Formats: sequence, structure tokens, C-alpha cells
Amino acid sequence: MTAAISVDNAFVRFGDTAALNGVSLEVPQGGCFGIVGESGSGKTTLMRAVLGLQKLEKGEIRIAGRVLGTDRGGLKQRASIIQPIFQDPAASLSPRCRIGMLMDEVGTVLGEAREETRGRLNGLLRRLGIDPGVVDKYPHEVSGGQARRVAIARALLMRPSIIVADEPTAGLDVSVQGDLLNLLQDLRQAENITLVVISHNLAVVRLIAEDAIVMRQGVVVEGGEAGALFSAPGEPYTQELLASWPHISVRQ
Amino acid sequence: MSVRVRNLAVDYSVSDGTAHALRDISFDIPEGEMLGLVGESGSGKSTVAFALMGLLANNATVTSGSAEIHGRTYDLTRPGATTALRGRGMAMIFQDPMLSLNPVFTVGRHLLEVLRRRHPETDRKSRLAMAEDALAKVKLGDPKRRMSQYPHELSGGMRQRVVIAMALLAEPTLLIADEPTTALDVTVESQIMRQIIGLRDRIGCAVLLITHSLGVVTSYCDRIAVLYAGERLENGTVGAVQAHPGHPYTRMLLDCEVPLERERLPLTTDNRFTVIAGDLPDPRQRPPGCIFNGRCDVSFEDCARIVPADYPVDDSRGHSARCLRLRSPL
Repeated sequence: MTAAISVDNAFVRFGDTAALNGVSLEVPQGGCFGIVGESGSGKTTLMRAVLGLQKLEKGEIRIAGRVLGTDRGGLKQRASIIQPIFQDPAASLSPRCRIGMLMDEVGTVLGEAREETRGRLNGLLRRLGIDPGVVDKYPHEVSGGQARRVAIARALLMRPSIIVADEPTAGLDVSVQGDLLNLLQDLRQAENITLVVISHNLAVVRLIAEDAIVMRQGVVVEGGEAGALFSAPGEPYTQELLASWPHISVRQ
Repeated sequence: MSVRVRNLAVDYSVSDGTAHALRDISFDIPEGEMLGLVGESGSGKSTVAFALMGLLANNATVTSGSAEIHGRTYDLTRPGATTALRGRGMAMIFQDPMLSLNPVFTVGRHLLEVLRRRHPETDRKSRLAMAEDALAKVKLGDPKRRMSQYPHELSGGMRQRVVIAMALLAEPTLLIADEPTTALDVTVESQIMRQIIGLRDRIGCAVLLITHSLGVVTSYCDRIAVLYAGERLENGTVGAVQAHPGHPYTRMLLDCEVPLERERLPLTTDNRFTVIAGDLPDPRQRPPGCIFNGRCDVSFEDCARIVPADYPVDDSRGHSARCLRLRSPL
């Protein structure tokens, strides 16, 4: 089976800093893949490169087996396969547009009638537990957790086969965070979507991802089956990350 | 000397009424200990810090409350009650270190300013030595060079260290840290928390750590106070509360935390995250009875009528919770 995303020896440099310094990875289809790392590890640059928002200096990225361009046509093609959920939902919701208008744009891209888009949207919003009346609101009128759900709805509306979520739960309260992650897992199963989760939350990645990689300074430090990676880390950096994690011991 | 806060209540006047952000909050922090004040967004935890520091917004009123710091009692309902304590008796570390650092001042100037206020009797040379020493104590490499650097030249973790060095020099009785590590990476977080503990042990101050992370509280704090919708629902040592949470809300919060040891099971449906269903009650209109009643999984009829008091949990000293189920049968 072709990998959902395959990155081969990717290089990106910003001035003197190598944001991606020879990154290679394979994200298998249909599963959940975790990317763990701290600020400056290059995980967001990697996401941007996969989305076609960042040109590679060297290397190659294949989405569902194909190399896609970063020109208008390439981006459009990419958008129908792979959709992002950005860390800051505001990044995908224009502050000056009502939420409904943003959603209609998806219909325009897909060449779909407005009624049809709205119909699918209502179904999605219901599943995400949001009142469909949200379409008449502006992004600033909804809470942080709701804004993320709206961003998820917008991503799903494109009917992608891959979703890349950058810190999907950063800044949310634990109970809201759990709710959102449960939802992402359900959707991924129901729609057979490949989910890539970029997160600094090791416990979350361990619980939802089948495979994961640890990044540091633009390099993949270690990777493999998530359970094994976290229970028996091979690299000192992975061990340090795990040791720094504020611990809640399991209660009897 | 321990820090005591009694019956703190704060109202915010909002466009459509009055939001009661805090109601009857009391807690003690023994000298040399760290109290973790936890709560979700909107629980009022930052309002506690701002009320103590006298930094509340203009639309806020402290309707009741007093604080005993260094043996003196301050009436928090008086505007500017604790102004004299700022930078001497009390210091604060904010989530964003740039809130405490002036972008056009060097690191050295920040530190010297604290010392001018705290130790007016010293001369410039000894102040410089003290400032460099403080930077070394918070493990900021090359203190001499750092002194002449500006905040923008430092990383987030380094800036937070500078703020901690400022607190160290202020030698406060009470240090308030409001989400000091939320914006930082985990490895930096553990370093910064160790620095805060080092500061506490060095000057023996009481620390009020405000956070939404139970992981941080259980890893680093001595005591915990759980805040929900402006009320303190539970209070006790971290060990006691973690072993036997007295309030259903505390138990649910602890269950929401994902332990790092938790392994993924083959079936996705087995890898569910625990959530607390429902929403916070309207802060303008407190529902009758227990404040958590609407979201509680073990509530009974009385919960909708009777406002619970602080009941002891497990007879362990200083561990109490506001849950009617703990009421001892008379």
C-alpha cells in the first residue's frame, strides 16, 4: 500500500538555521501518526512543507504516492487530499467573515452547490456537537474549544483523506481537550482518514498514535511504534523528554 | 510566617449585570511551601492573584476579603491595600515574562531597580555583584554578558529566568506565579519549576502557583486548592487529595489527566479520554445548592438545595471539600 505521506530527505533552511535537516518519514494510510518535539524542532515547518506552504530546498514529499506542485493547481489538488487543523484556530478562520461564509468557500473550491455544502455542513456540525446557528457568528463570538471544532468542520468539509493537526488541544482545559480528541478519533475511524497529530503532549500521542517520531533541531531523533518508543526510548533526548513530563501517577 | 487569605470575593461589572468571579475564597500557605491553585478557564484563579496584587481591572470590585502577609493583615476591599508590598513583600511571575520586563531596559537595569527598592542602603557596586549572582543562581549562563542584553535577545525560558532572578532579589514573603511555564516546552518547564522551588527554599517564601495543569501541581506543589466557577471546592496536601479526592470535581479532573504510562489498546474505542460533561454555570446568577451540581455524577436531591460547607475528608488534617456527601451524619 502506498504511504499516505512519504517524506524523503527534506531540507529547509532559514538563514543559518536548518529547520529541516534531512528528514525522512513514512506515514501509513488510515492510521494515526504522532510527531513529537519542542519549539524549534522543525515539526511545524514539516507540516507546512507537507501542506505545500513551504518549499523544500532539497528532498521530496509524496502525498498518496504523488509529488504535488506548490503552484495554484498543485495546491488545489493537495487541498482535496490533505487538510490542516492549525494550532491557532484563528489562523484558519478569517476574523471578518461569518463562519458560514468561510464554509461556503469550501463549496466554491469543490464546485458544489451552496445548498449541498450547507447540508453536509449541518451534518458535520451536529456530529461535532455545535449548534448549526454558529454559521451566523463571527469567529470572535465563539469560545476556544468551539473555534477548534469549527476549524475541524471546515477541514472535514473538504472531504480529505489526510488531516494534519498541529497541537490540536494546546491551550484547552483537560476536559475540553479530551472531548476534542475523542471526536477526532471517532471521525478518523468513521471516515477512514489518516490523522497526523503534531503535539508536545507525550501522553496524548502515546494514547492515540500507532506510530510516532521524535524531532529535535530539524532532525528525526527516533521513531517507530508509539508504545515501544515511549516505554523503551533508545535516544537520550527522548528519555529526557519523558523524564521532564509532569507526572500524574496512576491511582489505584 | 504563613500567608492567609480569608473570604475573598470579587465582582466584575459586565454589560448585562454583575459577574461574581470569586465567592468566599480562603486558603493558607505555610512558610516555605507551595500551594497549587488549579481550575479550568473561567474558574477565577487569575482573579485571586490580581486581587492580592491589587492589579484588578477597573470593572472589578473586591467585595470582601483580607490577606495576612508577614504578620500584618491587609483589607483587600480597600483600593491599593497591598501596593506597599509589591516588590518587597510580594512578587509575581506572569505567564508572559514580557509583561514584567521593559523592552527598552537591559536585564541588568531590571535587576538593579529591584535592588534599589529592596536594599536602598547598598552601593551600586555591591548591587551589580548581587544581580550577577542572582542570574548565576537561576542558571543563566554568562551573567556578565546577560546584564547588558535586552529582553528581546533572550529566549522565552531565559526571560522567565530573569523574572525569577528579579523575584529572588526582591526576597518576597509571598511569591505568586501565574501559569509561569504554560508557554514553555516541557524540558524548560521542569527547569523553571526547579528554579522556583530553589528560590522558595533559598528565601523561605510562600508560593502561590496558579495553573490549569494538575500534572505540574502534583509534581511540584505541597498543597492544592481546587477552584471551580469562583468557589474553592477542595483543599489539602497534594498527597492526600490525590489519594482520596473529597470532591467529585477533583476526582473527575484527576481522571481527565492522561498518565504517561497509559498504553494504547488495539481498539480505538478503548482509548477514550475522560471528559467532564456540561458547562460552567452562569457567573451572573449562581444556581442554588452546590455549584457543581449540574455536572456532578453522584449528586442527590439535597445538592440542588443546600450549599455545602467545608467538610473534613478522611479526618486528615487540613484536607477538606465542599461536598454534601462528606457531611457526617448527626
